[in-house]
Amino acid sequence: MSHKKMTQTKNQRNVFGAALTRRGFVKTGGALFVGFGMVGVDGLKNSAKAATTRNSLDPALPESWIEIHPDNTILIRTGKSDFGQSTTFTAYRQIVAEELNAPFEAITTVVMGDTDRTPDGSGAFDFLGSGTPNIRKAAAYTYQALLDLASQRLSVAKTELTVKDGVVSGAGKSMSYGDLVKGQQLKLTIPVKGDLTSVMGLSVDGNPPMKPVSQYTVIGKSFRNSVTASKVAAKETWASDIRLPGMLHARMVHPKSLGSTLTSVGALDKTRFPNAQVVVKGNLVGVVAPTEWEAIQAAQQVAGATKWKDWKGLPGHTRLFDYLKRDADWKTTRVTKSDKSKGDVTPAMAGSAKKLTATYQLPYMKHAPMGPTLAVADARADGTVYIYTHNQNPQALRGEIAMMLSTTPDNIVVRTYAGPGHYGRSNGGNAGAEDEAVILSKAVGKPVRVQWMRPEDFQWSTQSPAALSDVEIGLDANGKMAAYQIDHYMPAMQDDRPIGAVLAGLPTMPAPSEKGVFIGSTVNDISDPWIYDGVVTLAERGHGTFQIGQKASPLAVGLRDHSMRTPGQFQQNFPRELAISEAAALAGADAIQFRMDHTKEERVIGVLKAVRDASGWETRPSPRAKGAGTGAASLRGQGVSVMFRSATYWACVSQIAVTPSTGAIVVEKVTVAVDPGIVVNPMQLKRQVEGGTVMGVSIALLEELQFDESGITSRDWRTYPILKVADLPEIKVVLLNRPEVGSYGGGSEAANALAAPAIAAALFDATGKIARRLPLKAEYVQALLKV
Amino acid sequence: MAMIVVNGVRREVQAPADTPLLYVLRNDLELSGPQFGCGLAQCGACSVLLDGKEIRSCVTSLSAAAGKEVTTLEGLPARWAQQKGLSPADATQTLHPIQEAWIEEQTPLCGFCQNGMMIKATELLERVASPTIAEIKEAFTTSAPSAHLCRCGSYTAIIQAVQRAATTMAKGR
Repeated sequence: MSHKKMTQTKNQRNVFGAALTRRGFVKTGGALFVGFGMVGVDGLKNSAKAATTRNSLDPALPESWIEIHPDNTILIRTGKSDFGQSTTFTAYRQIVAEELNAPFEAITTVVMGDTDRTPDGSGAFDFLGSGTPNIRKAAAYTYQALLDLASQRLSVAKTELTVKDGVVSGAGKSMSYGDLVKGQQLKLTIPVKGDLTSVMGLSVDGNPPMKPVSQYTVIGKSFRNSVTASKVAAKETWASDIRLPGMLHARMVHPKSLGSTLTSVGALDKTRFPNAQVVVKGNLVGVVAPTEWEAIQAAQQVAGATKWKDWKGLPGHTRLFDYLKRDADWKTTRVTKSDKSKGDVTPAMAGSAKKLTATYQLPYMKHAPMGPTLAVADARADGTVYIYTHNQNPQALRGEIAMMLSTTPDNIVVRTYAGPGHYGRSNGGNAGAEDEAVILSKAVGKPVRVQWMRPEDFQWSTQSPAALSDVEIGLDANGKMAAYQIDHYMPAMQDDRPIGAVLAGLPTMPAPSEKGVFIGSTVNDISDPWIYDGVVTLAERGHGTFQIGQKASPLAVGLRDHSMRTPGQFQQNFPRELAISEAAALAGADAIQFRMDHTKEERVIGVLKAVRDASGWETRPSPRAKGAGTGAASLRGQGVSVMFRSATYWACVSQIAVTPSTGAIVVEKVTVAVDPGIVVNPMQLKRQVEGGTVMGVSIALLEELQFDESGITSRDWRTYPILKVADLPEIKVVLLNRPEVGSYGGGSEAANALAAPAIAAALFDATGKIARRLPLKAEYVQALLKV
Repeated sequence: MAMIVVNGVRREVQAPADTPLLYVLRNDLELSGPQFGCGLAQCGACSVLLDGKEIRSCVTSLSAAAGKEVTTLEGLPARWAQQKGLSPADATQTLHPIQEAWIEEQTPLCGFCQNGMMIKATELLERVASPTIAEIKEAFTTSAPSAHLCRCGSYTAIIQAVQRAATTMAKGR
């Protein structure tokens, strides 16, 4: 793509660094299209990588970020796929409507995810971009272009114009956006930077003027999610609904273990399955058939007769923490240190009046979407490949499939549809099945639909990595934290290699290693921002290692990990917040007051006060009663946790009842206070927080990946249970809307991470016994309370 | 070949008799309400009503459904219209009060499990007009063959939507 010097000509105008061009006049229709390009605008350094020239949005094509239509309707496009956050259908429309001074309802179409129909890529995370998502800047540029057009058309200076509900007025004249674009082909080219098919995608560059927060009228209202009605009425097209002409169904025959190579493929019983066909490539075995039921049964039959080499190279979940402590290689990977670390911890610790020394452990967990991964691939004779799936990062998948096929992304198109929430597992571009569908489609020359069965989805998908943390806290004579030291240990968190490509021996990105960059690295960064500035000396360190079994497995896979909701930060926040509650008890202080006494950050204090008031918190030190009972009478306790994530402050109080004789915990009430600055959509945020809280209670009480020396043995909802409706606590959400902050933070993550440290602290409050490992299953708690 | 009645319409299906009903509904009859969640009757994503009772279509064979009345999510509006004696014209313009409540309460997050949740709610509210919270929790948890699971954690919103639907249905709209 060429860099063109932008000059002010009759047909091209410079709008705050964006280029507005009139490409011609048309008799009917007309529109303003907002595209992107690497225009060399004064003062802007654009470094966007021109990933593709074909099957991507080209600035010369009408597909673009935002389209203003003559009938006053507006279309927006985003590479971000909605996975249940509702953001693209609610907050994004509100943000665009706000910046454009147009009604929310004018935005009638949201195009998302498809790699050939949306501009910017990146994953389904950080939707609100700490207050400035791509779509906001795109809208801000568009607004300036519309003002520019109106100024010309109405012959009124831009500064004299006002806009309300999509109508521009000035000097007694007015014109709607629709009339401004009617009969014209207008194009606005805005500057971008980044790499389209990388995990982070493209970002809009420059600094267009944004609407002052004090003038907001659309942001802050509870608009409904426009996709909800179509899902509820069974009108939505789900990824699971995609059927192409001539398409075959497939099921995979995955290896016996995470390190098993293929010895021999079982013979297909052609008398029972006359229409089925077996495809083998390296260690990848798949069975295709015209009907789904034949594919399922034939794959089961072939699997039963297929032979694999045995492999045992994993510690098993019962020996996991011994392995992490003693056997894992923590030396090869660079140790990280947080930028908040300060002072010399060692002498401060030595001189402390009281000291807490503790180790905290978190198991592997599954993202566990309600539906297993699936994809339809159509590898066409001309070399193009179309993939129809449900993916959190379609552009990254596009890049991975191109790499697998040794072709360019030009030849790959990914279309995304609704599906079960992934909670991070496909943010790196794949969840499994997409690559396998492509390999099988190429092999049989027809479109192929691969769907994993439930056990495969547990056994062959990625997990959220286990972690352990060693903490030391030193209290001075006044019960204040003089020294805080934490060492976090966690295997690599982001294995984005498509598993089918790995099994087939096709090209992929490398496995995470100490030499990898960014998320391909084994480095364990500090992800939980420190908020207790009153602590005198602080040392936070992160230790990383390879994925367990990755180096030993002949398949080079082992326990593959992937970021899951609040990734890394959950693993670091649980030990921190539980340790802070323990330190408060050691100081004889109330756990909320203790936290307030160690921070000057007004928003931290704000969420703590809000959660204290709303939850019915009893201000007093923990534990409530010394010594655990073994009786059948339930004991009650309370616990608190705090987090800062994505420009949002969170605090949580959990109130529980525990029965010592059984170890059973009932979480009675969870109260969450959230301060994101500006609340964009109160109703949607409330539902997100409630949902995340349920996942958090589930994680705290139930979730632990089971695995043995060969592979994952969690295979269904009985061996990986999640919270059921009967165990739902009362959930109270307190939204703190603070327009004076001037920006909005994210709300889809963090809620899932808050409950666990608060519940563990509540168990301590109730019993005086501290559980420093999740999950708080009845057997574990019962044994703990007997001691 | 088997004959089943789906959402009030007689359908002849070519699939083998042992085919799980779910694949027949999704692949042969192109209905998108019931979803494949586990294939093990452990989650409820594939639920349909079989003669008014909630079953898991992933483990129910076509032959077991033959000759019986299957109602899927797509069929809930017509089911309600028939129960209320609405005209066929009105019936096409309406949703079941349960579906409306699910929208009013903005219940779905990803929405993948909600087919089963709405099917279960229909079975419950046809049996108990005004269930208590304990009865709602019981229906979604311990009534056979397994709990209805939601990974996004929409349980609070489900209970609120069932209560809202119960109120509307009791009023007869």
